[in-house]
Amino acid sequence: MAHKKNRNVGIIGIGQTKHSSHREDVNQPELIHEAVSLALKDANLTMKDIDCVVHGNMELFEMVHSPDLWHVLGTGAYGKDCIRITTGGTVGATLSCASDNLTASGMYDIVMAIGFEKLQEGHTTGGITNMADPLWFRKIQAGALTGSSAYDVEREFGLERANRASLTYRIIMDKHAGLNPNAHRAFGLDFNQIDDLIRTSPKLVGELKLIEMCSQSDGACCVIFACEKKAKEISKTPVWIRDHITVHKEETFSIFGYNREFPVMKTHKFAAEQLFKRNGIKDPLNYFDVFEMYDPASWWAIDWLRDFFDLKGDEHLKLIENKEIMIGGKLPINPSGGVIGSNPIGATALIRVAEAAMQVRGNAGPHQIPTPVNHALASGFGGTMWTVMTMLEKELNW
Amino acid sequence: MTTKQMKGFEDSYVVEGRMALPYTYFAGRVGSKFITTIRDQKKIMGVKCPTCNVVYLPPRQVCDKDFTDIRDKWVDVSNTGTVSNFTVVRYDDKHLPRKAPFVLALIKLDGADTPFMHILEECEIVEVKIGMKVEAVFAKETTNTILDIDHFKPAAERISVHEINATRKQWVPVDEPDTQGKRKGGKPDMSKPVIITAALSGAATMKNQISSVPYTPAEFAEEAYKCWKAGAAMVHVHAREDAGMATHEHARIKATYDAIKDKCPDIIICLTSAVGMGKTAEQRLSQIVAIKPEVASLNTNSMNFGIVDRKTGKVFIDYVFENTFTMVQDFGKAMEENGVKPEIECYDMGGLDNAMLIGRQGIFTDPMNFNFVWGVAGGQAFRAESFIAMMNALPAKANFTTCGVGTDQFPCIMQSCILGGHMRVGLEDNIKMPNGDLAKGSYEQVEVAVAIANNLGRPVATTDEARLIMGIKKR
Repeated sequence: MAHKKNRNVGIIGIGQTKHSSHREDVNQPELIHEAVSLALKDANLTMKDIDCVVHGNMELFEMVHSPDLWHVLGTGAYGKDCIRITTGGTVGATLSCASDNLTASGMYDIVMAIGFEKLQEGHTTGGITNMADPLWFRKIQAGALTGSSAYDVEREFGLERANRASLTYRIIMDKHAGLNPNAHRAFGLDFNQIDDLIRTSPKLVGELKLIEMCSQSDGACCVIFACEKKAKEISKTPVWIRDHITVHKEETFSIFGYNREFPVMKTHKFAAEQLFKRNGIKDPLNYFDVFEMYDPASWWAIDWLRDFFDLKGDEHLKLIENKEIMIGGKLPINPSGGVIGSNPIGATALIRVAEAAMQVRGNAGPHQIPTPVNHALASGFGGTMWTVMTMLEKELNW
Repeated sequence: MTTKQMKGFEDSYVVEGRMALPYTYFAGRVGSKFITTIRDQKKIMGVKCPTCNVVYLPPRQVCDKDFTDIRDKWVDVSNTGTVSNFTVVRYDDKHLPRKAPFVLALIKLDGADTPFMHILEECEIVEVKIGMKVEAVFAKETTNTILDIDHFKPAAERISVHEINATRKQWVPVDEPDTQGKRKGGKPDMSKPVIITAALSGAATMKNQISSVPYTPAEFAEEAYKCWKAGAAMVHVHAREDAGMATHEHARIKATYDAIKDKCPDIIICLTSAVGMGKTAEQRLSQIVAIKPEVASLNTNSMNFGIVDRKTGKVFIDYVFENTFTMVQDFGKAMEENGVKPEIECYDMGGLDNAMLIGRQGIFTDPMNFNFVWGVAGGQAFRAESFIAMMNALPAKANFTTCGVGTDQFPCIMQSCILGGHMRVGLEDNIKMPNGDLAKGSYEQVEVAVAIANNLGRPVATTDEARLIMGIKKR
């Protein structure tokens, strides 16, 4: 059984900034204002129509406390109910879950979720790792910068195949990002560059190379949620939120002393199993038409595919090698270019939901999947090991 | 990293660490313009929300109350304001801009609706009060930060002309046949109010020289109002097109005239009958007859009226300003017939004589009002003895005022005030202040004229008194 809802909730408005490493022209509220204005325009609403604002970003990344208060100039939350959420990298996905819950509960009819990050202003490492002391059991945290997945895939499938799969994934993401006008990074890479990139891209940790890593971006994303009645009144193409799930597990994540006896990356697997089981989805790979995955690095992405879809053996690598995850393939992953393409962290996981919803609406733009999208999946990742998954539907028929 | 043990917790360690938190702050385009305007123009600007009329300072891109995009709605606010709250910082820390103790005050600038925080100095901490008037002191060296306003200091207490005039007795004319004799004897009547005129625009002062010169009717109205507030009883107006060219079009001049009258009903308007270069006699006069202002300028001689480099003598613009006897006579007659009091512009002694000569026809009614003009390229430069000679040549009941181009402006008005005459200032004649800084507007020069009058103990004429003195009836 999917979790119980008092009423259905649909996405009726989406706005995103162009994501970039250079936004010297705006301050934080001004950046947010861009996304909020676009979402209101998309929904054909004004701030008067919004009942509640849910604000989220990474704590400390911009060195501002209580940003929800300061950002009112951009969020439009003056005189409205406003809630701040911060759950690390998943915050954007949690914004979506919270907005869904707040609307489904009957508390608010229209809720606006705003995810935002201006990494150019702050000091990410200051926010994550400064208080770490691994020798006192405060384990070091370098965000997404870990080589353990690369080590894992490499050991199982051999260095050559592992490296080529990772770079194939990376280049597919680059090609997708090239189609998405909001994407931060699109280099114009091609598959014939794989060998060069393996050889030349600087190594960060083990086999994790610079080219395989996500960016630091500035950007904001705004998504407007409405109850079924309002959604049908306001929008011709509301995208329905079927279900979402959050799973986390803090204590076993450690980058040294990696031990196969203590596998750590299992929250994705657990979350996906629970979500699909309670929604009666037996073959998720065939069920979903698109998957917007939170992919901080291509090594994690290729490894996580297996967890999300419960794939056996090297099925996940074959999906990549056969380019089945490209636009036009069996299950397109991240037509937006994904997190490797753009990563304004507080917005990143909300962008996954927003991009998946745009695919369902069929108006994503140049990166729209050519075949109909009826069922979409979005994931968020963060913290030491957090997973949030969201299922979106075109029709209210489940 | 180190550990220590707290007394009473000998079995427990406390680990001491240190966080490095570098960060960058982005001001955005709106915030950046706010700073650069302070830096480059020593001017403080806010934004005004057209929906709720709130003027925000510091400026912001969006009105938080109604979510209106206000990034382009810039307005000037004053450099002076009122302390709406304050705190005394009593500890020293690296991030603080001054050594403790110092005052951080919330200051609501005149013209803004929101207070902003800054340092308040140049007074004893115990003297700081909520409600005290303060003014900005700009930094000598720029840092491209809000510290380009170095600090605020207590504002000089300035009682407005209108407050003073409200408490004194109104001046009444006394029939004194020998006004001129007394003047000549060096005993002018210093109790007679001095009329301050602001020449807001002229024909040639352009926005690229000084942005506060008015072009549109609304700008004229705003400038005239500021000048009236500062103590001017009369404004002299050359109407302009939107692009800045002087105009003889009746509709535009009327619109300018009406806008000033709407905003500032009491003020006397003196329209130009010179208009600008290349205008025909008909163009110059017909607008006066059509609009019938209380006062209009009447020029008295044909003369060179050019633009010449004051240092090198090089001629930039050569122009003959034509005012034949026939024109002086026709203009003077038309003005008097239409109840418009001529202000007789004398660029030298010859001009004064011309007016007197034509005046034998009985054209001009008493009292005649003369304006001695100094420093036009083509007219005479300001000399104290020339001034006295011209004054001594006036008819018995005549009034005189004076204006000077460029650096002649302040010396000539001061001399006029000493000798019992009146004063004209304004951006038409000079765009600077006595210290060489650009004036914020004609009104700031009016403030200088008021200071001169105050220092000489002469009252500043109200608009009613100015009408009595000049012999004009309010329209």
